[in-house]
Amino acid sequence: MSRQDSLQGSLPLLTLKILARRGPLHGYGITTQIEAMSEDILRVEEGSLYPALHRMEEAGWIKAKWVTTENKRRARLYEITSAGRKRLGEEEARWRAVTSAVGHILQRA
Amino acid sequence: MSWLSRLTNVFRSSRVNRDLDDELLFHIEARTEEFVRRGMTRDEASEAARRDLGGVERVKEDCREAGMSQMLETTLQDIRYGLRVLRKNPGFASMAIVTLALGIGVNTAIFSVVYGVLLRPLPYQHGGQLVVIHQQATRANRPNIPFSVKEILDYRNQNHTLDAVVEHHSMFFLLMGPDWAERVQTAVVSANFFDVLGVKPLLGRTFVPSDESHNADAVLVLSYKYWQIRHGGDPNIVGKVFQMNNRPHTVIGVLPSIPQYPTESDVYMPTTQCPFRSAPGFMANRQARMMNVFGRLKPGIPLQQAQADLSTIANQLESAYPEAYPKSNGYAIATAALQEELTRRARTTFLILLGAAGLVLLIACANVANLLLARLLKLERELAVRMALGASKVRLIRQLLTESVLLSMAGGAVGLALAPFALRLLVKFAERFTTRAAEVRIDAPILIFTALVSVATGLLFGLTPAFSSSRQVGDALKQGSGRTTTSRGRQRLRAALVIAQVAVSFMLLIGAGLMIRSFLKLLQEAPGFRTDHLLTLRASPNFSRYTQSQQLQSLRDNILLRMKSVTGVESAALATNFPFNPNGLAAGPGNTNFEIEGRPVTKGELAPLVDVTSVSADYFQTIRQPLVQGRTFTEHDDLKALLVAVINQTMARHRWGVDDPIGRRITFDHGQHWVMIVGVVGDAKEYGLDRPVQDEIYTPLAQNGFAGNLVVRTAADPMTFAVVIRAALHDIDPQLAVDRVDSIERLEHESVASPRVTTMLLGLFAALALLISASGIAAVMALSVSQRTNELGIRMALGASRESVVYMVVRQGLGLALAGAGVGVMGALALTRLLTSLLYATSPTDAFTFAAVSVLFLTVAAVACFIPARQATVIDPLVALRQE
Repeated sequence: MSRQDSLQGSLPLLTLKILARRGPLHGYGITTQIEAMSEDILRVEEGSLYPALHRMEEAGWIKAKWVTTENKRRARLYEITSAGRKRLGEEEARWRAVTSAVGHILQRA
Repeated sequence: MSWLSRLTNVFRSSRVNRDLDDELLFHIEARTEEFVRRGMTRDEASEAARRDLGGVERVKEDCREAGMSQMLETTLQDIRYGLRVLRKNPGFASMAIVTLALGIGVNTAIFSVVYGVLLRPLPYQHGGQLVVIHQQATRANRPNIPFSVKEILDYRNQNHTLDAVVEHHSMFFLLMGPDWAERVQTAVVSANFFDVLGVKPLLGRTFVPSDESHNADAVLVLSYKYWQIRHGGDPNIVGKVFQMNNRPHTVIGVLPSIPQYPTESDVYMPTTQCPFRSAPGFMANRQARMMNVFGRLKPGIPLQQAQADLSTIANQLESAYPEAYPKSNGYAIATAALQEELTRRARTTFLILLGAAGLVLLIACANVANLLLARLLKLERELAVRMALGASKVRLIRQLLTESVLLSMAGGAVGLALAPFALRLLVKFAERFTTRAAEVRIDAPILIFTALVSVATGLLFGLTPAFSSSRQVGDALKQGSGRTTTSRGRQRLRAALVIAQVAVSFMLLIGAGLMIRSFLKLLQEAPGFRTDHLLTLRASPNFSRYTQSQQLQSLRDNILLRMKSVTGVESAALATNFPFNPNGLAAGPGNTNFEIEGRPVTKGELAPLVDVTSVSADYFQTIRQPLVQGRTFTEHDDLKALLVAVINQTMARHRWGVDDPIGRRITFDHGQHWVMIVGVVGDAKEYGLDRPVQDEIYTPLAQNGFAGNLVVRTAADPMTFAVVIRAALHDIDPQLAVDRVDSIERLEHESVASPRVTTMLLGLFAALALLISASGIAAVMALSVSQRTNELGIRMALGASRESVVYMVVRQGLGLALAGAGVGVMGALALTRLLTSLLYATSPTDAFTFAAVSVLFLTVAAVACFIPARQATVIDPLVALRQE
């Protein structure tokens, strides 16, 4: 499969959802989770993941901390905040509205 | 993350960079491991992982941008937008910037002076703890009596609140080099003088206590200025020896360039070296008062406590020595902070100027606010569309404010560039009031002031338009036609701004008008003698060589005789003082007690006071002070003759009324010697045009000794005689020090220099205010006309004459001006009181000034309205109607 952004702007939504479910994860973990859970249909454009993470951190939806892994490597873990949970609710509702609308059109047209 | 830490994040980029490296590296390694697990070789896997990420540096750049604070981003966006808007409206922008630059520049310059003179801490260590101490004769209205040696010792030894008491007085002595003599202003100070001020020498040392003992070698400390000007900054000056008062004096040090207290002196010497101060008779006499005193508060002691402490001592002295502190005079001690004492004379003038400059800036603000409002009219639809598309009100207001602050910062920058030019003139002006003028400069506090004023200005003139537009854009979309009409509220706001502007400029004009009127009155004062063709100079003999009074008498007679033989000299005289003498102006009239024969002063009553001037025989003829009655002095009025005096008209009226004063006798020593009045002369303004003439007694110099002020009436331009007269004096005695060569006309001019400059500055501010307001009125009326094109077109189509249209527009504009002037009159009536101390013979509510300013103002306003009104008349009714 060619690597292209198949997420259609839903990267923040997915990231928040995954962090809400799975607890703190690093960037690589978020990528693999998205890919694994979508059974490799969705691929994360890694070049845009990190800027997105930093933007979300800036907006206060997630917070980051540094940890040291077993093999003595510094890793940055992201965690959802309460503002992030609120945002997640809104994003989810919006996504459902959009998809149902798109589905509607696809059925009727 | 807080706003601040976000911002600092932007700057702590190196650390952020390392974190980003770590984070991305972790990702690449994890990905590589995964690819290896899937069967790639390690090299292939690593390469693929990097490729997937898509360029580490680009990702980092994107992350950093995301990390930049949203706030900063928006602000930059606003600034970019604001700059674009200003670039697109160069006329509006440059008009606003010039107006603001004038306002802010003037304020920066005046504030620099106010800060340097009034606010900057004294450049002395513990400057805030230094207090000046005065003795006062409260009932004799003498607020500043010097101290005697005994009094200084009493206050020094008995107080509990000062950790040092310093004495000083100023004298001139002749300083003699190998083949020259010059008069030096000498500060005679106690040894602790420099230590208490905390002044460290630039070269050598200052005084130590042993310098002040009676058999110590004579030493001198030079001021920086004197060292530079008279000794060319000689680096080897320390150790040089000069003759002074017939003793060798060794230079031990040079002061740094600091403002000197209390006045500029050339040299400093310890008290024991002053032949007058150290004479045994002088030191023993409690009433030989000549010295000034200041002290340093002990740490933590407030001024009031020191005042109470010293007052206790004063009360004890008063009861212990009743003959030295007569009950009838009243006796008190007064303390004041040195900072205040140094700047008292400058305070009123400069605070008033700062206030006036602030008002000019306010008017400028109102003008720019009006310009902004006018521009917003055109923007209204754009703003409305943006709001409809979801821009928040706050966002729009922020954008407008950013724009106005940009404008004011630009104005501030230009103003700051202009300020130094104004400052140079202002410092010269301030020098007349205080020695602190030398400290005026543009430095950090001034820059902070200008920055704050600029931002505040921007917010001030930006807020009104910004809020009014956020309230009103809602309506703009509802209007169908492409042309927006101003809502009533906005129109009212603009009118209010114009009225406020007019009111403030009116107040400034009144202030300036009062100053001009007062100054003109001052110039109209007759000096009481002919000031033209008079040369004056000061000749100072080396007193240590003139020990006998006969020697000084013959010097005096020789000078007067020699002057008669100088070609072009019509007459000459020596006098202890003469009108417009800078020394006399600074010191004010003397207060000599005298008694009139037949009118004994009863005990407990104050003896009459008078100013006494001793003049040589030709004095009145030389300066052309007219004789009114009796005779003036002749060469025969000497020590062998009867003691005589001439009085001025004011004194004759004051003391004798309609009676004839000629032949009456007075005494200055309780009847030991009687002096007969032989003449009455016209009043001369001895102590400046602004000081009312008071009682004056002239005595013949031949009966009173020597005086160094030479006044010469010349046949041509007096200054051209300076060289020959100086040479003639040196013929008599090469050691005569000659200085202060000047013409009396110039001294008269100089004596009113500070009111002149104050008047000019206030006048300049008022003119600026008038100009700005007039342009404000014109702009508002022009806009109003252009918005009413349609209406005016209809009126004219229906037969209104051009004249009636002009009349209508002018009437509307004058209505605004009148309303503003009304408010301005109220304000002026309340505020001009502040000017009282600067006004001469002019009431702060002077009706003539108020009337004249009103006429001037309304005339200018009418002209300002007439220009846009004329535009209204060229409206073509057909074109106007077709616009609809």
